[in-house]
Amino acid sequence: MTTNREAGVTRKTRHAGPSGWMAAPALAFFIVFAILPLLVALYLSFTNWDAISDPVWVGFDNWPKVLGDPVTITALLLSLKIIVFSWVVQTPISLLLGVFTAGRQRYRAILAAIFFLPLILSSAAIAIAFKAILDPNFGLGASLGLPFLNQDWLGDQNLILYVVVFIIAWQFVPFHTLIYQGGVRQIPASLYEAAEIDGANRWQQFWSITLPQLRYTIVTSSTLMVVGSLTYFDVIFVLTAGVPGSGIRILPIDMYITGFSANQMGQASVIAIMLCVIGLVLALGLTKFSGFTKMTSQQEGL
Amino acid sequence: MKLHSTRDGAGLSRRTRRLTNAVLAIGAVSLLLGVTACSSSGSTGGGANASLWGLTGGDQDQVEAPSLKEWNAANPKLKIDSNYFANDAYKTKIRTAVGAGSSPTIIYSWAGGTLNSYVKAGKVVDLTAATNGIKSKFLPSVFGQGVVDGKTYAVPMNAVTPIMFYYNKKVLAKANIDAPKTWDDILADVPKLKAVGVAPFSLAGGSKWPELMWEEYLVDRVAGPDAFNAVMAGKAGSWSDPGIIQANTMIQQLVDAGGFVKGFSSVTADSNADVALLYTGKAAMMLQGAWVYGTFNTQAAAFVKSGLGYTTFPAVDGGKGDPNDIVGNPSGYFSVSSAATKAQQKAAIAYLTKGVFDKAYTDRMIKSSQVPPIQGIDSQISAGGDFGTSVYNLTKAAPNFQMSWDQALPPAQATALLTNLDQLFNKQITPQQFSDNMNKTIGQ
Amino acid sequence: MTTAATRRGSSARHRPNVLAGVGGFVWLAIIIIPIYYIVITSVRPQAGFFSSNQLIPAADSNLDQYALVLQSDFFLYLANSVIITVISVVVTVLVCIMAAYAIVRSNTRFVRATFGLFLLGLAIPLQATIIPLFYMLSKAGLYDTLAALILPSIAFAIPLTVLILANFIRDIPKELFESMKVDGTSNWRMLFSLVIPLSRPAIVTVGLYNALGVWNGFLFPLILTQSPDKRVLPLSLWTFQGQFSVNVPAVLAAVVLSTLPVFVLYVFGRRQLVSGMTAGFSK
Repeated sequence: MTTNREAGVTRKTRHAGPSGWMAAPALAFFIVFAILPLLVALYLSFTNWDAISDPVWVGFDNWPKVLGDPVTITALLLSLKIIVFSWVVQTPISLLLGVFTAGRQRYRAILAAIFFLPLILSSAAIAIAFKAILDPNFGLGASLGLPFLNQDWLGDQNLILYVVVFIIAWQFVPFHTLIYQGGVRQIPASLYEAAEIDGANRWQQFWSITLPQLRYTIVTSSTLMVVGSLTYFDVIFVLTAGVPGSGIRILPIDMYITGFSANQMGQASVIAIMLCVIGLVLALGLTKFSGFTKMTSQQEGL
Repeated sequence: MKLHSTRDGAGLSRRTRRLTNAVLAIGAVSLLLGVTACSSSGSTGGGANASLWGLTGGDQDQVEAPSLKEWNAANPKLKIDSNYFANDAYKTKIRTAVGAGSSPTIIYSWAGGTLNSYVKAGKVVDLTAATNGIKSKFLPSVFGQGVVDGKTYAVPMNAVTPIMFYYNKKVLAKANIDAPKTWDDILADVPKLKAVGVAPFSLAGGSKWPELMWEEYLVDRVAGPDAFNAVMAGKAGSWSDPGIIQANTMIQQLVDAGGFVKGFSSVTADSNADVALLYTGKAAMMLQGAWVYGTFNTQAAAFVKSGLGYTTFPAVDGGKGDPNDIVGNPSGYFSVSSAATKAQQKAAIAYLTKGVFDKAYTDRMIKSSQVPPIQGIDSQISAGGDFGTSVYNLTKAAPNFQMSWDQALPPAQATALLTNLDQLFNKQITPQQFSDNMNKTIGQ
Repeated sequence: MTTAATRRGSSARHRPNVLAGVGGFVWLAIIIIPIYYIVITSVRPQAGFFSSNQLIPAADSNLDQYALVLQSDFFLYLANSVIITVISVVVTVLVCIMAAYAIVRSNTRFVRATFGLFLLGLAIPLQATIIPLFYMLSKAGLYDTLAALILPSIAFAIPLTVLILANFIRDIPKELFESMKVDGTSNWRMLFSLVIPLSRPAIVTVGLYNALGVWNGFLFPLILTQSPDKRVLPLSLWTFQGQFSVNVPAVLAAVVLSTLPVFVLYVFGRRQLVSGMTAGFSK
């Protein structure tokens, strides 16, 4: 349908270059395997489906059940906690490291090469390594005999959230550092030269030039971080050997347990929709809030 | 933004070209879809051999793998391919596989609620006729678990595995105590063991289901089998049974006393870390299934000979339950997938009726100190070793053999049970809250 | 892309920033200790593992556990990982460069709507759709095939890839297109003789970036595949945990082996990964 109308439009603007059809393969993939699943999730949220028989239509039954369930509310709060903590931990570190690695000193280049190493490790590998390190009986802390290190990192349900925030920071700070590094390198050197002539010290330069110049980078990085935090699954799943406890049952984990352990796929689909809506709202909110209304708008200026 | 000047009067050749482009683009997508699908799905489903998934562990090495090897050598036309998974990994995989219609031909289960849902959805084959001839060789109570609505859908394939009370003899000797006989003994032993720097109990709390073993035994000892029978019957409010609340209070009492190894919530059973705690002497005692005896044998054979002790769960003074009652898995079961081809089903049924628990299978199981659910093998078992004899005697003497709750209950309730139990062990909820939460799940 | 020739590094050089240096080395320690632990533990003999100080390399370090891992169908999992990564990346880059070219060079409503949809895709946590994907792929008979991993991987990579490539293509001087058009070059030819050659750095970047994502993916293989002959490396790490049980050195040897291919890529392609990434995000 869209394509028919589009054909009419192309006729007029044809000279502009390639036909819009060139975007069709990508669009087809995206619609079939990303947009359609969203609609199917919506459909499944109105059914009871145990993954074994066929889905049975139950109307709105699942929605009040899931939204009113204290387990869901707790999962939602835990998810928000992990989003906020991850942002608070990762953003300053990535920003500072981005500025740090943007410097041209040789030692910084060497450090940067090592900083980015976690990028190449899979979540499963990272989780397995930290599970081994943090094991209360056979791990690093136990072997060194240091009482501080020998906490029940993964078992203590009040502690595990922070452990996960740390591991996720370990994994993703390199990625965001990279983004900030690129951002910092695009700040015109003339700005700093002028500031130096005015006698601004390094700290003042950071606050009055670097930070404001990085505002779009901060929005981009924060958006990716927040939407990403909504789907942290791999690390938690492997870290807890597939049976996460209540202290780390964030929404994606809750969705998995509800769907694949309790076999209530309909209720799990409600959680899936919740995740998508929350992601959308947060991302749009972030861009609105920062006056960064259209991702395309500033690209046009370039 | 760039301005585009518009021109009209499209030349025919242009229009055709645009059309060609469109066709090309669509063609490219379908081609790619086709290529990717073909490149990878070649070996799905239609594989000639029947397939079987088992669990990793002692049984795999000592019973199942050798049996299948012999079977395949003797029956080249009825070959069966096998794969083995860790317990928790298997549980998450198998249901999705069955639901998606790509399960192995032979489906392993613990019967109970899971088997019921397979039967309800028509995912497993009716084996009543095929098993008529072999029915009589099994212990009736064990065979009966595979029967749903009068028809047989699952055949026992594994040992009788009650939950056993294991202990490290050397560690108990160091603390100068004997294996506890009552709950009060346990409470008295905890400080003594801690004084010598050993954790009283190993527990794979990270996997959650080992915590259920404590719950099952304590509820039985305190309130008898009726408390859980009411839950199974779906009676409203049945989780509020005073016996259940008392048992949960006792659990938290033991947690408070430091009865379980430090960090038990991050110890996982899939990695056998709980077993390792016992044989490395870091913990003194452990409640676990009879199946871990095989793990002890493979990982610490010397310890099994000199240091491993085992008995039944201690009695609770004043409790209603018989101290001889046991809980655990009556057996493991094999079903045949209805999604498999006729040839695969034929091979699978042949193996289930002729290969499983043939003489060699039974002998191997006895040799590895396990108890087959087979009638009239008393003398063989006593020749097979002390552990098997103990299990066999416990099983024979038990007035009630309760199937593990997480297998007996439907999946939704079982999942909620493990979640709440974990919170109970971690002292995040009180016994009263546990009962309230669980009452809400009845009927799900 | 890279614009200014002189950078702030040059001005910072005359006064060494001690505080930043210290901070840099603290973070270095945080990054390096776990990696160091993985590597030395993977060569530690299993005997006496539990009693030794795990930060000091064992005197009798050996590669036994590596041999064990290599014998445990490692190459099958490696081949599966290579197959899904290569196919996903090649298809992703191909369809995305076409789409990005169309988005930059044509201004139809269809193309703009497409781009808008992709941008929206950046805001939706697509992994949340794993249950419907599982449902759809099992209905389509694709459950437990490598295609079940490839198809959604491509779809999920599209938004970011298109964004990065479009940003890059935008920087190709318009005069180049115009002069080729004057010569009568078709749009398809321009894609292959102008757009693709000039976007090579960005293509390498998105290629590497997507390859990392597919190579390291865990959720899709966990839910959408089943049989060991369809198992990919990250999932094999998880199953090795069950198989090797408390043999921590063997599990970590598997971790090292599964990372090696990417590590080699990283050593040779780091510059492209790092420099190209900035093109997509930092604008």
